[in-house]
Amino acid sequence: MNKTSLAGKLFLGLLGLYLVVPFGLTLIYSLFVEWTDLLPRGFTLRNYITLFSDLEFWTSMGRTLVLCAVSVLLTITLLLLAMYVVLVVNRKLAGVMQFVCMIPYALQGVILSISIISLYSGSSTFLSNRMLMLFGAYTIMVLPYIYQGIRNSLNAINAQTLIQAAQMLGCGRFRAYVQVVLPNMFSGILVSALLAESVVFGDFVLANNIAGNNYQNIQVFLNRRMFTSSGLASAIVVVIFLVVFIVTGLVLKLQKNESKEK
Amino acid sequence: MKRLQKETLLGYLPIVPFALIVVCYELLPLAQLAASSLVGKESGMVGLENFIKIFTTPLYQMSIRNSIRISLLSALVGILVAFLAARFCHEASPVLRRRFTMLLNMTSNFSGVPLAFAFMVLMGNTGVLTILGRELDIPLLENFDLYSGDGLMLVYIYFQIPLATLLLLPAFRGIQPQWREAAMILHAGPWDYWFRIVIPNLLPSILGTLSVLFANALAAYATAYALVMNNYALLALQITSKYKGDVQIDKATGGALAMVLILLMVAATMANNYLTKRAAKGRNLV
Repeated sequence: MNKTSLAGKLFLGLLGLYLVVPFGLTLIYSLFVEWTDLLPRGFTLRNYITLFSDLEFWTSMGRTLVLCAVSVLLTITLLLLAMYVVLVVNRKLAGVMQFVCMIPYALQGVILSISIISLYSGSSTFLSNRMLMLFGAYTIMVLPYIYQGIRNSLNAINAQTLIQAAQMLGCGRFRAYVQVVLPNMFSGILVSALLAESVVFGDFVLANNIAGNNYQNIQVFLNRRMFTSSGLASAIVVVIFLVVFIVTGLVLKLQKNESKEK
Repeated sequence: MKRLQKETLLGYLPIVPFALIVVCYELLPLAQLAASSLVGKESGMVGLENFIKIFTTPLYQMSIRNSIRISLLSALVGILVAFLAARFCHEASPVLRRRFTMLLNMTSNFSGVPLAFAFMVLMGNTGVLTILGRELDIPLLENFDLYSGDGLMLVYIYFQIPLATLLLLPAFRGIQPQWREAAMILHAGPWDYWFRIVIPNLLPSILGTLSVLFANALAAYATAYALVMNNYALLALQITSKYKGDVQIDKATGGALAMVLILLMVAATMANNYLTKRAAKGRNLV
């Protein structure tokens, strides 16, 4: 049964090759002086040295990391507070909560970004601040991922019973939620937070539409460099992919550990 | 009694910040988008003026057609390859399966601007395959225009395959090895086994995945923008171009185009929900 057929091996091998080729070639491209003939010529680390000494690269990277950290932490905080109400005060809100949290997943970046621009860009109040719009948009964009993580963890640890037990022992509801329930959800939230980080890190639509050159993230930086220096751009692609690679690896590892524990 | 009421109201306090953000950055913007699509650009009257304009302007007609075509075709090719990949991956040894799933997970994150750039390195004007085509005299490779509808299709197919395979793999776990034995005992050939047992059984999952892929391609923006900027009639590109730049924002046309995209996405999502529910009925699927 578990003997892979030759056709199967061949198919998976070819498909694997096809999937690896675009990134593999970009990696090779970034390590050579030029590739205008059949084979690349002149191994060099020049592209990486230029990139790492480019101040704009570091500021773009820094902005991206700030966006990742702030939006994900904000969403986690907001959702943890909101889920307390759903869990303890009014269970009927669960349906509304799910609906509201899954909308961004169905709509994705284009609609989200233009709807926010459409509403606030003409406003003469502080709401028309592009930075504020961007942070608001990211907070909404990661909502589905964080929500799923928190809801699944709450269900998995049977939070309501835990709170009732703590209450019987004389603990307040909110205190029970913070001191008993939250520590038990840590690993579940961590996985969804990392997933959300990779979504924000890979985002181009929101950053380009809402902030553009006002607050350039790493993807917008790449898009601009693409037309001036392809060598440099290839190095950026490699760096971006390595970061995503590490985060994805971490998520897979954490998920595996979690399923092992159960 | 009054104290109890006050306590319950106080209990709702933690949900307020969340509700505020959701209203300000999700619900209100969407409501405003829908409302502005109904206010006519020229007349300023409430009605379907903008929608009539969209469906009679060649550029917008073409954008909608192109978007549906590229989404549908890339989803179909994606699902075809993914079906075979998931089948072989399901039958493969655990080590191979684990490695391949890992590869799928990694490449499914390779999208957007980086992916567009990688394809430029591969098939752009001085791309590796383009040079290869010139050297070996293969016109198809040498003259391939990446910055066109065909180019977009190629890149879209690339990002559909890993996603489709990851979504289809769990469905194959529902196929019992005994079915094949039973089919063989009843003298069913391979054709009967695949087309009368396996595929009908997987059909809800296949169609559900198809609708996810369709929506995925429909909403894709970064890849297309990086490749063709705004020089191709595609719904996502046309919508965004109405809102770029502070000088003039065309909320009426943009809003109406956005509503068309939303309707298409909602249709795909509803199809998926319906199909997953049907798939779950009467069977213990994940």
